[in-house]
Amino acid sequence: MIVEGTYTFPGPREVVFRLLLDPDVLAKTMPGATSIARVNEDRYEGKMGVGIGPITAAEFDVVITMTEKVVPESYQMQIDGRGRFGFTRGKASVRLTADGESTVMHYEADMMVGGKIAAVGQRLLDSVSRMMLKQGLEAMSAELDRRLGKEPA
Amino acid sequence: MKPGRYMGQSVPRLEDAKLLTGRALFVDDVQLPGMLHAAFLRSDDAHGILRSIDASAARERAGVVAVYTAQDLGDYWRPGPLLVPPPPITGLVFNAATQVPLARDKVRHGGEALAMVVAESRYIAEDALEDIVVELEPLAAVTDLEAALRPGASLVHEQFGTNLAAHVHQSKGDYAGARAAAALVVARRFRYDRGASAAIENRGIVAEWDARAEQLTVWDTTQAPIPIRNGLAAMLGLGESQVRVIAPFIGGGFGPKIMMFYPEEVLLPWAAMRLGRPLKWIEDRRENFYATTQERLQIHDAELAVAQDGRILGVKDTFLHDTGAYDPYGLTVPINSQCTLLGPYVVPNYDSEFTAVFTNTPIVTPVRGAGRQHGVFVMERLLDFAARELGIDRVEIRRRNLIPPDAFPYDHEILFQDFRPLVYDSGNYPAALHKAVEMIGYEAFIRSEQPRLRRAGRRAGIGVVSYIEGTGIGPYEGARVTVEPSGLVRVATGVGTQGQGHFTTFAQLVAEQLGVEVDRVRVVTGDTREFHWGTGTFASRGAVVAGNACHAAALKVRDKIIALAARLLEAEPGQVVVEGGSACVRGAPDRSFTLGELARRANPLRGAVTPGTEPGLEATAYFGPDRGNAASGVHAMIVEVDPDTAAVEIKRYVVVHDCGVVINPVVVEAQVQGGVAHGIGNAFYEQLIFDDNGQLMNASFMDYLLPTALDVPTVEMAHLETPSPLNPLGTKGVGEAGAIPTGALFAQAVEDALSGTGVEITEIPLSPNRLFELITQAKGAAA
Amino acid sequence: MTDRLTITVTVNGARHERAVESRLLLSDFLRHDLGLTGTHVGCEHGVCGACTVLLDGEAVRSCLVFAVQTDGHAVETVESLATDGVLDPLQTAFHDAHGLQCGFCTPGILMTLVPWLRHHPAPNEVDIREAISGNLCRCTGYANIVKAVELAVSRLADGRTGGPAGARS
Repeated sequence: MIVEGTYTFPGPREVVFRLLLDPDVLAKTMPGATSIARVNEDRYEGKMGVGIGPITAAEFDVVITMTEKVVPESYQMQIDGRGRFGFTRGKASVRLTADGESTVMHYEADMMVGGKIAAVGQRLLDSVSRMMLKQGLEAMSAELDRRLGKEPA
Repeated sequence: MKPGRYMGQSVPRLEDAKLLTGRALFVDDVQLPGMLHAAFLRSDDAHGILRSIDASAARERAGVVAVYTAQDLGDYWRPGPLLVPPPPITGLVFNAATQVPLARDKVRHGGEALAMVVAESRYIAEDALEDIVVELEPLAAVTDLEAALRPGASLVHEQFGTNLAAHVHQSKGDYAGARAAAALVVARRFRYDRGASAAIENRGIVAEWDARAEQLTVWDTTQAPIPIRNGLAAMLGLGESQVRVIAPFIGGGFGPKIMMFYPEEVLLPWAAMRLGRPLKWIEDRRENFYATTQERLQIHDAELAVAQDGRILGVKDTFLHDTGAYDPYGLTVPINSQCTLLGPYVVPNYDSEFTAVFTNTPIVTPVRGAGRQHGVFVMERLLDFAARELGIDRVEIRRRNLIPPDAFPYDHEILFQDFRPLVYDSGNYPAALHKAVEMIGYEAFIRSEQPRLRRAGRRAGIGVVSYIEGTGIGPYEGARVTVEPSGLVRVATGVGTQGQGHFTTFAQLVAEQLGVEVDRVRVVTGDTREFHWGTGTFASRGAVVAGNACHAAALKVRDKIIALAARLLEAEPGQVVVEGGSACVRGAPDRSFTLGELARRANPLRGAVTPGTEPGLEATAYFGPDRGNAASGVHAMIVEVDPDTAAVEIKRYVVVHDCGVVINPVVVEAQVQGGVAHGIGNAFYEQLIFDDNGQLMNASFMDYLLPTALDVPTVEMAHLETPSPLNPLGTKGVGEAGAIPTGALFAQAVEDALSGTGVEITEIPLSPNRLFELITQAKGAAA
Repeated sequence: MTDRLTITVTVNGARHERAVESRLLLSDFLRHDLGLTGTHVGCEHGVCGACTVLLDGEAVRSCLVFAVQTDGHAVETVESLATDGVLDPLQTAFHDAHGLQCGFCTPGILMTLVPWLRHHPAPNEVDIREAISGNLCRCTGYANIVKAVELAVSRLADGRTGGPAGARS
């Protein structure tokens, strides 16, 4: 499953970049995330709950490893999620470009989904992942607004 | 065998009352005191190296009795048997890799079993599956047949250095010469994809070890109880008589229930013996999509060389066959494809080679039709394309190529799946074609109905296809017939039964010879304590092989009845008449004995008998045919296609079939009707879809669509009987017939409905979605 | 997951009081706890219809109902149809028209049709096909099931309800 697109954050690139790597922000903004911890500079571990079709509460242990980090421009993520209803794993790349006061995020992910989720939730996978992405980015954007209100750049 | 009081009659089924009232015993109905329940942890990944399995948390869960991984099996862990060794074909290559009870070092397909949990209830066992932690290093999966054979492809079985499972080449005549002489050569690539057998009853096993009697009893949803018994005895170090396998009522078989040994069949009896408690496992529907075998992806590159008048000069076919992750069933499926392609036609030159390929998908073994579909699809489609290009009518090109009725036995000069030459025993193909064409009103449809509808803006199409089904293969089956003192007749045979009506048809055969009412005959099948010689129910062979064994045993008992009655009645054997449940002297009905009385007299408690006398009115007989026989048929249908939505409506479906002598017409018709339904599913609704990672994407009945009562028309049927000379009853098989030509027929009829649009159908299954794509593509190409 | 609730349910006219886990499916309750194994389980996700039973007279899929939901209600299974071993008119028609093969889906089809025929005493073929379109059968291709229902309907209309002697179970 390939997910790609762009999203514009109303704030400067450095702030957006920091936000995207902040485990507390991730825990707050990623849909279904129940916990996320940064176990070292480039490795995050957490738990996420996802509902897809007939599978109403799939919990995943998620490990995200950052590579090729170029502050504040780009990074790659290796994502590995496992749970009793299946797994997801893949690679994502994120690139940020400044556009005046805003920052445009270019993202591209190639995710593989397996197990029960793939077998019985197939028809809904695309729409669920798009919805989760949208929710996450909007929450992130709201968080950005809050931060900019508190600590103007 | 001529029609008689029961032979050839539509006797209502004797097994129905139990099934209709819910009293019939299916495997899942077996409840035993103290019974434990098993559940299996199955791999989410299709391909990977198994680093570790940590089941410690599962073992500690309340209610869990045991958890077994491959490591826990010790010496008991070993790959399963090669069920069907390859036939002796020169130059044949076969790489055998059979399934394992639990994955040990490597996972080779999604759903492969990793661990078995045994608990006080199935609910707890499934809870415990979630406690198990598996560490697996994923490998790239192979699912595409051509990519699998390219250098550098990820390997399903490293030891072979290739994903090639087999390579077989069979030929006759000189295809190159035929091609050079041809007026036309049509060549296409054909694809026939995979579906599920989808019996409504999933698989299941119950095992009970009686330590005092040292007896193992196994209830199994198998089509082959006797080989299961013998195999289990060998694996467990028991005598064969210490193991009783019961295949009670089975909720549909369709092929995959003949496969053995499934991991669960190996593990349940073993664990029941170790734990000293009965143990049950019932497959759930999702497991069935991975853990039960499937069919039937093949890709054919085929060409047909014809003369100007449409006569077949030769066929060349090169195909890839997907065998899944293991190949325990040998080459049965692709060899069926190779042989069935020739159909009812004279094909003087044939060159066919196939490569079987390992992929990271569930195992492929025969499913109703067992590869025959592919051969029929390729041949019938090639004939359709040749007819179109030569301007010959579709029925006419077939007529010109049929094997004539006086040409039997007809030798195709290649080897069949039973290792015997592919020789057709009997048939009358022109008569069948004529009958079908007449029944469906082919000429009138083409001449007036189709143009009339077309003028009204409606797209209707007709199809007519022929097929041969090699059936009734050996090696053998047996039966024991016993007249009991009550006058009841018992028949025991080794084949299992999955709804084919054996309880009735076998009773008819015996009642016919013993002159008793058919409902006085009780048939027992699928219980190794009752009968322990035989192989199983497969290849449409029950009525041929077991049927003739029942018939032969009944004849022997009849001889015993006559001999005893003649002695007691002081008459010549030739004067004794056996009818109405009695044996009497011809012309003197008062000089008679009931069969029950004769059975009592044949088993005296005291006194003396003539030396050499066998007690009772009982006999056992076996039947093994020299080779399989050739059932045949013609299917025709009329469809209407909505070119905007690609919805297809089947207006009429006609079947003319020849399964030799018919024992019970209603049973035969129902087998054909059911087969057609399966074929319609295969042609238009059912497809197992794997992604590039080997993930099955539609493993539920919400996404994998079986045809419903709204999708399957009532088939109009005619029987044509050319008795088989290979067995005394003259029967051929019929179990798979309905499902075999449906894809080819569907393609022809739909294409005919869309004629003029440029749509050409070279793949099955279609779906409304896929057909819509083809219509859209054709429109694009035309624009 | 060991919470147990006590339920009282009337099954085929007999009252049962049982303590059951809240997650226990009605299909498992009928089959395992009450030993009524005529109700078959084919998919456990509500598609195949083999597990159909009546809940307060209407057809439901017992794999989609929890046993606890039937507390205080009445359930009927295929075992309720025959009386003293004599098949009911619908069962008899299935026998006479060869409306079953392996018989695994049959109890669910019968229990789908029982309330439906009460509401549709004079259906045509299309109606019948619609009525059973939520029940999957892999053996018969449905033709003889349709014929069996037509036969039952015509016999009921004629007032002939008894089964032949051979149909005694």
